[in-house]
Amino acid sequence: MAYGAAEHHDDHHNPTGWRRWMMSTNHKDIGTMYLIIAMIASLIGGAMSWYIRLELAEPGIQYIDDFQFYNVLVTAHGFLMVFFVVMPAMIGGFGNWFVPLMIGAPDMAFPRLNNISLWLTAAALIMLVLAGLTGGGPGTGWTVYPPLSSIDFHPDAAVDFAILSLHLAGAASILGAINFIVTIFNMRAPGMTIHRMPLFVWAILVTAFLLLLALPVLAGALTMLLTDRNFGTNFFNVAGGGDPLLWQHLFWFFGHPEVYIIIIPAFGIVSQIVSTFSNKPVFGYLGMAYAMSAIGVVGFVVWAHHMFMTGLGADARAYFTAATMVIAVPTGVKIFSWLATMWGGSIDFKAPMLWAFGFIFLFVVGGVTGVALANAGLDYVFHDTYFVVAHFHYVMAIAAIFAMFGGFLYWLPKMSGKMYHEGFAQLQFWVFFIGVNVLFFPQHFSGMAGMPRRIPDYPDAYYGWNFVSSIGAAITVVGTFMFFVLVWQALRSGAKAEANPWGEGATTLEWQVPSPAPFHTFEDQPDMTGKAPAE
Amino acid sequence: MIKRFALFAITAMTGLAVAAGEALAQQYRSEPWQMWFQTPRSPSAERINEFHNLVFFVEAAIVIFVLALMAYITIRFTKKRNPVPSKTTHNTLLEVIWTGVPILILVVIAVPSLKLLYYVDAHPDPDMTIKVIGNQWYWSYEYPDHGEIAFDSILIPEEDLQPGQPRLLTVDNPLVVPANTNIRVLQTSNDVIHNWAVPALMLKLDNTPGRVNETWFNIKDEGTYYGMCSELCGVNHGFMPIQVEAVSQAEFEAWVTRAQEQFAENGDIPDIYAVLEEIENNDNRLAQLAE
Amino acid sequence: MANSRRNVGSRNRRLGLVLTAGVAGMLGLAFASVPLYQLFCQVTGYGGTPRTEVARSELTGARGDGQMIRVMFDANVNKRLEWQFDAPSGERAVEPGVESLAVYTAKNIGDRPIVGTATFNVTPVKAAQYVAKMECFCFTEQKLEAGQEMPMPVSFFIDPAILDDPNTQDVHDIVLSYTFHPSVEATAALDAERETGGS
Repeated sequence: MAYGAAEHHDDHHNPTGWRRWMMSTNHKDIGTMYLIIAMIASLIGGAMSWYIRLELAEPGIQYIDDFQFYNVLVTAHGFLMVFFVVMPAMIGGFGNWFVPLMIGAPDMAFPRLNNISLWLTAAALIMLVLAGLTGGGPGTGWTVYPPLSSIDFHPDAAVDFAILSLHLAGAASILGAINFIVTIFNMRAPGMTIHRMPLFVWAILVTAFLLLLALPVLAGALTMLLTDRNFGTNFFNVAGGGDPLLWQHLFWFFGHPEVYIIIIPAFGIVSQIVSTFSNKPVFGYLGMAYAMSAIGVVGFVVWAHHMFMTGLGADARAYFTAATMVIAVPTGVKIFSWLATMWGGSIDFKAPMLWAFGFIFLFVVGGVTGVALANAGLDYVFHDTYFVVAHFHYVMAIAAIFAMFGGFLYWLPKMSGKMYHEGFAQLQFWVFFIGVNVLFFPQHFSGMAGMPRRIPDYPDAYYGWNFVSSIGAAITVVGTFMFFVLVWQALRSGAKAEANPWGEGATTLEWQVPSPAPFHTFEDQPDMTGKAPAE
Repeated sequence: MIKRFALFAITAMTGLAVAAGEALAQQYRSEPWQMWFQTPRSPSAERINEFHNLVFFVEAAIVIFVLALMAYITIRFTKKRNPVPSKTTHNTLLEVIWTGVPILILVVIAVPSLKLLYYVDAHPDPDMTIKVIGNQWYWSYEYPDHGEIAFDSILIPEEDLQPGQPRLLTVDNPLVVPANTNIRVLQTSNDVIHNWAVPALMLKLDNTPGRVNETWFNIKDEGTYYGMCSELCGVNHGFMPIQVEAVSQAEFEAWVTRAQEQFAENGDIPDIYAVLEEIENNDNRLAQLAE
Repeated sequence: MANSRRNVGSRNRRLGLVLTAGVAGMLGLAFASVPLYQLFCQVTGYGGTPRTEVARSELTGARGDGQMIRVMFDANVNKRLEWQFDAPSGERAVEPGVESLAVYTAKNIGDRPIVGTATFNVTPVKAAQYVAKMECFCFTEQKLEAGQEMPMPVSFFIDPAILDDPNTQDVHDIVLSYTFHPSVEATAALDAERETGGS
């Protein structure tokens, strides 16, 4: 059953050397390069967070006596992790690699557009690094609120570079989103109906729509900020009749869907892993698919819950409280459906499954604190404290990283043709799992006690839990290092992978091509008519 | 490592020192290893705290329930224990339940949540008004109904602290207000967005330039309250604390009288602690005379 | 085979164009939100926006039930504007439906003429939709010569409907706030000066 193995058409040239990579139009090569970009960015962004935790390990100033630099670290850590680690890895990396494989398409719909997206992302990363090196750097937080981000308070070009970086990354993502939607709508193999697509493909489809609708709004707002800074417009300048709150509305109209852009692909990955290693089809496939769609839709009408403390009227806050809580329902459906998929299964606790299991735990903990934060009445205490930091790292950041680690190990045999070392991978999971929990759980306590975010030093009372948190960070650093050792070992001397190393549970199409997947697959599309549905 | 333990010890000792210096004023701020809210000391804060207890109970119950399911799955449905997987992929009743029950739970949370929201939002008729103005990087306070008293409130650097004064929280001129009084707060900013927050009163509101936001509080207990700026406002965002001195009505009036004189004369503001001490000495003298 | 692939190609391009139009639409919506947001605030009083430039003919007159709203006046000056700006002191009981006049004073304490412009809002925000300003210094830019002092009047009334709205039953106290900023041109001039003078 090796589709594409011997189908080496002569009308396709296989470029080699630098041309293969620089000018690539191949979805697998582009996916690989996205993963490499994400790994590089994760090392920079991770190093920044490690530096922040070192500074916060004890009261007083340890290493960072330039507080603007501290703010730049906080800002750049956010930008890097969101735009240059999670999005490139999940959407650019796994999306490019496996959406065409899972739907039986030979490649993406617009391969050259795909290449443009990739290099725009790379250019955006370089632009962001430039922003950090220009003048005082952008110390605005990833939310870039004016007036702090205006020319009066950030006079050098750092913020302009950051804006341009987001413009490039946004353009890359919009083009990528168009590419994914067209691919998924038009390029499916015969018989691969919408309701037979694997859930990862559903996740990328929903994500692509979110990107398509949310990112242009960010682009518009960023353009206004750029012209406010440089060309004398007054969109957000209060003296000129503008309103800084308008920025917050526009930013969060993008920013809230953005967190679902990060986590919905993770839902997809976790669904594939859970089903594979439980040796069972996904429970409640349609519910899962439409829960993701519902989360995406509702995600567009809850943005002002990030603005409860800006002086919004009570009616507005009441609406946004209620709308936000509604999101708990489809996310609950997802959690319970994963549990039901495992229920009655014959579970093989291999490393990817551990990551998926860990994901569910983190997502539940971060989810319930999210329900608390949805209440405008409680934000009088929680807003802008470490409780929020703990919440979004649990529910979005670390959960996404768990899904990425899980997905990477799950698909590594397909991408590289090599198996990772199972024992070491499980050890790495436990080190990382303990690390992040020791790192982030105490931040709930610091936050409840009243410690604000984004401060380089804190009153002495917050010492204890911050110290514990920094120890957690140290363990997490070890876990991260172990991951790179794991990958290096697998690529260098891993056992050769079979086409399907995971057994009967792995039913999706990518396991029917050889490992590593050949350069061209599904030149002749497989006929899925009458085959068992993906569920 | 030794340095770290020493620091722990110092943190604990400052706690004791604070307790010893209580004659001056009770300090309401977080304590070492604190895991929970600061004790609420205003009517709004009490309600917020009460509501959070409900929400926390629900949160904990959900997490424990899911963890229990996960633990059972880990034990019962391994490859060894359950070599033949079931093929069930649907159970309509189950799916209806896990959609419906969360909706019910959310309603149970939403009703008191919205009540709380409207309670805090309904401002009682104010007995007095204060203005809080954010600056990079200090607060300015004004008393529009008390002869236009106005002053800046700036962090005292670590090396100038007196014993018992907490680091990064103590300012030169605290905001002085009477306890058990409905106080209307008008907030704005001179430059970027700041946020004026006092955790023990569960107060938090943005100071936005070019617009005035309004909130209110009523402090139940006399003492010193601390908070920190809660919206990233630039380089020294972490170094513009909030210190509120809640005193009795009589003490407040004594301070205001003095402040009005001094402020008109040279723009200075009298130290509230000196005023309090003087009042105490006076009371003692009167008591002695009476004897 | 080749034929069907060409078909896919054209279908792809068509869908791609539709999606691109969607992106352009959202981008347009982002820019359209600027006037829409302003309009939304003015119509609903959202964010504490009072009604402005209201015609005198809308004055309803007192209802005569003796219910009053206390109004406080608040004045702020942006740090960069060398003006003194004072509000009428104390609170004032205002009868809904009756015109009220409040006179602020602004004085240029700098050494050059400068144009200022005032932003304004009303708190509590839910009361804003019932505050109607007929004439106000905040509707236009104001120029003060060096050392000049000028009265800054605002005439307004409170819509008696505030007494009937169940949402505003607890509102007995309203604050009218103003903040003077240097006008955009004045700011540009100040910036230019800072750049040349600062070297």
